[in-house]
Amino acid sequence: MKCKVCRRDAEEDGFCALHLRAYRSVLEKFDVWRRASGLVWTEYLVEIQKNSLTGGWAKEVVEHLIKDENGNVK
Amino acid sequence: MGKYTLIITEKPDAASRIAAALDVEGRGKRNVDSGVPYFQAYRDGDLVVVSALGHLYTVAGKKKTHGGFPVFDYEWVPRYLAEKGAQRIRGWLKVIAKLAEDADGFVDACDYDIEGSLIGYCILKYTCGGKDQNAKRMKYSTLTRDELQESYNHLLPHLDFALVQSGLARHEVDWLYGINLSRALTAAVKKTSGQYVVLSTGRVQGPTLKFLEEREKTIGCFVPAPYWTLTAKIIVGDVALDAEYEKILESKQEARRIMAECKTAMGEMESVAIEGFVVQPPFPFDLGALQSEAYRLFKYSPARTSIIAQQLYLNALISYPRTSSQKLPPTIGYKAILGKLAKISIYRKQASELQSKPSLKPNQGPRFDSAHPAIYPTGDSLGKPLGAAERNVFDLIVRRFMAAFDEPALRQSTKATVNVNGNKFQIGGVRTLKEGWIRLYEPYDQVKDVLLPPLSQGQTVAVKRLVLKSDFTKPPPRYNPRSLLLKMEKENIGTKATRAATIETLQDRKYVFGTSNFVVSELGFEVVETLTKYCPEVVSPEMTRNLDQEMDDIQEGKESKEVVLQNAVSTLKPIISELKANESAIGQRLNETLKQVRFEERAVGACPRCIDGKLVILRSQKTGKRFVGCTNYFKESKCNVTFPLPQKGAIKPLNSLCKSCGSPIINVWFRGRHSWKLCLNPDCPAKKEVKQ
Repeated sequence: MKCKVCRRDAEEDGFCALHLRAYRSVLEKFDVWRRASGLVWTEYLVEIQKNSLTGGWAKEVVEHLIKDENGNVK
Repeated sequence: MGKYTLIITEKPDAASRIAAALDVEGRGKRNVDSGVPYFQAYRDGDLVVVSALGHLYTVAGKKKTHGGFPVFDYEWVPRYLAEKGAQRIRGWLKVIAKLAEDADGFVDACDYDIEGSLIGYCILKYTCGGKDQNAKRMKYSTLTRDELQESYNHLLPHLDFALVQSGLARHEVDWLYGINLSRALTAAVKKTSGQYVVLSTGRVQGPTLKFLEEREKTIGCFVPAPYWTLTAKIIVGDVALDAEYEKILESKQEARRIMAECKTAMGEMESVAIEGFVVQPPFPFDLGALQSEAYRLFKYSPARTSIIAQQLYLNALISYPRTSSQKLPPTIGYKAILGKLAKISIYRKQASELQSKPSLKPNQGPRFDSAHPAIYPTGDSLGKPLGAAERNVFDLIVRRFMAAFDEPALRQSTKATVNVNGNKFQIGGVRTLKEGWIRLYEPYDQVKDVLLPPLSQGQTVAVKRLVLKSDFTKPPPRYNPRSLLLKMEKENIGTKATRAATIETLQDRKYVFGTSNFVVSELGFEVVETLTKYCPEVVSPEMTRNLDQEMDDIQEGKESKEVVLQNAVSTLKPIISELKANESAIGQRLNETLKQVRFEERAVGACPRCIDGKLVILRSQKTGKRFVGCTNYFKESKCNVTFPLPQKGAIKPLNSLCKSCGSPIINVWFRGRHSWKLCLNPDCPAKKEVKQ
């Protein structure tokens, strides 16, 4: 199975190793954002998508999560 | 000329200096045979000084294997037999061999380190007919007349064989790893695509690329987190001081609450702590520290600094730069050097002051190099002006040397805590009580004082202008030449002489790009990921570090070269087998990336008509002419956008758009001529303007 985001082989949760790491980083930081600003999951995704400090792979994952109907896993 | 002593040096400049220093009349006679310079001198007998051109011998496979692997049979051969561009060495070796025929004594005067010892050993053994066993050794750290004469008068009775053995082992192990691993990757690509693409990795290159890849991953997967900082202006007397809330705030709500609590309040100086501290002078430079400092101050790459320092050394202005020592032994003659520096106008004042001190003791670091002391100026002057870069590095070395002998600086820090309605703000100040060494190193390390008015505990202060700032956590910075070099040093991989070259190889192979901040390319990623998957040892710093340790052990006589090589081969064999067993899978992965990389190299930008297509440089099958076309031409939409291209010169897409018409821009250049930027659109208004 290929990664949901790129052409690499998927390893876990439908992501390749690289995007899986980025996905975990996105999940992990949600708690920090929720505590800091009270954002909900989808608002959070939009915020980090437009943040210039968010890494390239993390942005690709966020883009996928926003597009994905099941993106609001939280 | 009858019989003579043949002295072998590493570089022609050193040969010229040594001949002049040893000759009784102070001038060596320059001769040239078949384009090879050598020098005649007379001291206690006739001397002939001839140089190498760096390494004249190298490791090569015993049999021609045409890219086959594994290869474990090797020998030392003249470089011209192994490298296409080294034909000049054939004539060079012939001249040395001819000079060796009439010599009755041999002296190795190459630089006293692993590489220098190896260069001298190979020439004596292979070119001079096995004279390695009865040759003597000159050991010196500067090319000054006095030191060279002293070194010649006290020749070491034989070559430094432990250093030679360590050098042989290092080159042989590096060759075994480099050739087998690189060929494994290259063969994997060739097997799956039929194309020959040179991919390389090595014992030091692999782990270094892994550091870069790991940092790239951290940056690419980074998600910032918000935080807030609160600052206040605290009025003490008639002075407004900046105070920062004691910690960063991780919640907007909390930040606003604290701000509200502090708004109308007065504060009380809860504590005032004043502490003096000593700033010791910096250690004298070893090569790594010099490279690091030259990058920080002048943005010179480590390789460039190394070349500049080598040139300063060959001009006898500084001591041997390829050292890892942070120590300056008294035998170098501190007072004499300072005396000479005092004759150079820009150092006169500082050098004279130091010279008049009753005793001179440098602040030394822990690192020690048995071959050479830390880098120091000889005090000699060239007699002609130095180039800007050489002047910068020379000045840095001189000031660092002088600073090491000066008094420590004394500074005083003040930390005050202001309590504002139960919330603590901090004020910090620092003042210099005694400049000490900093005044000698001043252009490179300036003191910035933050002065505070007298503060006392219990004092009531007014709180004005609270500023709440929101910010985000930042990803770690990309490695630059300085930080990567420091990382390699810290991880203890590679040697002081090879680290800079390893970094350059990564750039040459297009595994990384950028000169100030290294970005790992797609190809670099794929190579690391492939190696990590199929042979993680190759990119692990541990394996490289252990091998380096074993080679240091040879140098110290604790281990034999044979045992180290045996261990290296037995570690390498299973790695090669694993790579061979997975050749197809590895080839497929690398090929996909290479295809992508080649496509990206040809991609000019987005198609202005069909939007989802990409403009790429193509070649017409009919006419052979190149042009830019849309990738969607080959799909259902058949987008037929094309742009003409110049048919001569090299073309590189610039990934930027024309300011006049928004079409992609390319760079066109001819070898040896200026390059120019070209907008692809033939009807671009800017072009029309130029025509008019």
